[in-house]
Amino acid sequence: MTEDVIIKLENVSTVYEGERRPAIKGINLTVNRNELVYVVGPNASGKTTLLETINGLLPPFNGKVSVFGLDVQSHGREVRREIGYVPQDFMVKPGEPYTAFDVVLMGCYGQIGFLNRPSEEDKKRAEQAMKLLGIQELASRPMGKLSGGQQQKVMLARAMAKKPRILLLDEPFSNLDPDSRGQIPLLITELHEKQDLTTLIVTHDIHHMLEHCNRVIVVTGGRITFDGTPEKALPLVENHPHTTPLEGHHH
Amino acid sequence: MIWLEYVIMQRALIACILAGFLMGLIGVFVVRMRLSAIGYSMSHGAFAGAALGVATAMDPLVTGLAFASGTAFLIGPIADKARLHVDTITSIVFPLNMALAFVFLTLTPEIGLTSQVANVLWGSIISVTNNDLVYLATLFASAVAIVYFTWKELFAIMFNRKLAEADGIRTKPFVYMIILLSGVVITFSLKLVGGLLIYALIFNPASTTLQFFEDMRTVVIVSPLIGAATTVSGLLVSLVFDLPVGSCIVIVSTIVFAVALLLSPKRRRKEENGNEK
Repeated sequence: MTEDVIIKLENVSTVYEGERRPAIKGINLTVNRNELVYVVGPNASGKTTLLETINGLLPPFNGKVSVFGLDVQSHGREVRREIGYVPQDFMVKPGEPYTAFDVVLMGCYGQIGFLNRPSEEDKKRAEQAMKLLGIQELASRPMGKLSGGQQQKVMLARAMAKKPRILLLDEPFSNLDPDSRGQIPLLITELHEKQDLTTLIVTHDIHHMLEHCNRVIVVTGGRITFDGTPEKALPLVENHPHTTPLEGHHH
Repeated sequence: MIWLEYVIMQRALIACILAGFLMGLIGVFVVRMRLSAIGYSMSHGAFAGAALGVATAMDPLVTGLAFASGTAFLIGPIADKARLHVDTITSIVFPLNMALAFVFLTLTPEIGLTSQVANVLWGSIISVTNNDLVYLATLFASAVAIVYFTWKELFAIMFNRKLAEADGIRTKPFVYMIILLSGVVITFSLKLVGGLLIYALIFNPASTTLQFFEDMRTVVIVSPLIGAATTVSGLLVSLVFDLPVGSCIVIVSTIVFAVALLLSPKRRRKEENGNEK
């Protein structure tokens, strides 16, 4: 059913500024409503480019990207207001003048509209998102003073605060401590189900796949080289030097 | 204070407060949006424009404003479209503006290095007119209103422009608005500080304030106050020692910044963390 197609990429290639070779090429991908897709692959294989092409931050050089049936090139902002995005390796330096709550509330700014101020309801949404991730006590702390794992949770709360319809998460668990690495993916899976989200998660942590998702995409050299169930994907990526097993599995 | 009995001094004092406040306010956005290179080019664009005004007996304010905004509108889209690094463009535009300024200043041999030319180079309090005060006051009210009404977007862009875009905020108009506003503020403050030195007043108060505070709202309130305090202190120093006002303001503002660096709790914490490692 077409209304169930949330993300559709048709023969999409994206080239970075100043580079000749496309970072992703000839991508055809359809993601349906309420699918939870893990995107895996070696470093610099085009995983981040794929996410940023979907939300329109990177314009495709070739092909067409539609989200909710809208062309992302002409309806980028409309689409992005419905997407919760967590970028890779996002760290705020010590001394930067933003509190954790500021950062979470900012996630809603695109939806609030020009000249409007965040309402009490917006603030409540931000508080709830922080509570959900168990970081409500960090609200008034300066972002730069938080640990990498805490900052990552703030960024996840930021993505959740806007009550998105799509989640695009780029390595969202990489800085979490081992305990949170167990809890947070579970929490994301629960929210995904409860809020009827469509979710794409880029990860190196392949052991999450079996437990939490129903579809895996392997990106290699800018192309989708596998698209299927996690059970079938696991043997393909398990021995790959760029994918890392869950911390606990090491010991 | 006996100086304050003179109308010229009263005007200079009001101009210092308004210009210092404005530059301290706009400076926060210029520094946090990493527009320093563009601001730097624009201040010298304003200088070249004002020089043209002096040379052609036109109003230096009008020509300064035209050059500052011309520089801004040239650099912004070129940086966006030509995929050139802003630093590269700045490195070309800055010497060009300076070269133009000196050509314009020497094009008028009958004037030479008269007081009017000197005003453009390093500022003067005597040249501040009632009209200048009206312009600065209007600009002051407009800048405060703009910051108040667009605070949400400016705050998000200062945090991270790409993330602001990812949340569905159209960032380009706000960035261009800040570039244009800083060009206007620079032009209207040029008479006081002079074209060679004015950029320090955009950069120093904001950078001083950012050494101490961890809440952006406080930074946006304190930086203009530091800007105004340094321009007024610079004015007093210039009167006491009979030195050019622009130079004194910049020296005071640099000393304040240096002291802030020494006392900065943020910097000390960073060093302590570094030593621990």
